[in-house]
Amino acid sequence: MMSLPFVLFACGLGAAWLRQCGVAMGFWAVGLVVMLVLFRVHVTEVLNIQL
Amino acid sequence: MSADLSRLLNAIGLLGIGTVLALAFVDQLWFRDLPCPLCILQRAGFFAAGFGIALNLIYGPKPSHYGVAIIGAVAGGAISMRQILLHIVPGTGSYGNPVFELHLYTWAFIAFVCIVIGCAILMLDDRQFSRVEPMSARLKPLPLSALLLFLALAIANVFATIALCGAGFCPDSPTGYMLLDSTPI
Repeated sequence: MMSLPFVLFACGLGAAWLRQCGVAMGFWAVGLVVMLVLFRVHVTEVLNIQL
Repeated sequence: MSADLSRLLNAIGLLGIGTVLALAFVDQLWFRDLPCPLCILQRAGFFAAGFGIALNLIYGPKPSHYGVAIIGAVAGGAISMRQILLHIVPGTGSYGNPVFELHLYTWAFIAFVCIVIGCAILMLDDRQFSRVEPMSARLKPLPLSALLLFLALAIANVFATIALCGAGFCPDSPTGYMLLDSTPI
């Protein structure tokens, strides 16, 4: 699961190299969303700071 | 600034990101400093940011490519800032070994800020975007090396993350490679 963003970015790079710009941007966008979702999943602790 | 000079500067930038990711591997493999889930996501942030710079090398400089790099760097910077805030209060510990008195997540945040500032500075010169003839698909050695290094590191991170976390989520403080430890001999 944690390797998914790397897979998507690598596929995007491959698509860009093959001159498939739209496909590459699609892989990047999905990779970014997956990365942010995984970030949200791992943000479980409340920050120990008082503002 | 010509498109060719912009391509050269982008290649240097991508090599810089590749160097950061390679050093993270050195820290993981040589010093046995296993990355936490947020550390892995910060690596992914470098790929998200470097993706835009890679697009500049392949297709030539475009504002949208710089936008991709900036969005990726902001996302990665948010992740590293979260980890900095987890340990910012004295006595709340830290994660990993410090390098030059700063932890890797602090260095990562500095690097993400540098990417944003670097892209903003490169975007100041509009002449790189006004090239009439299409960019050559044939890359010079430096941009080609930077792209190959970046792609190789992305693939290496896929295998390293699978080895560390298996198919699921990573533990908060990994003590070993889950895939290797669970493999029956």
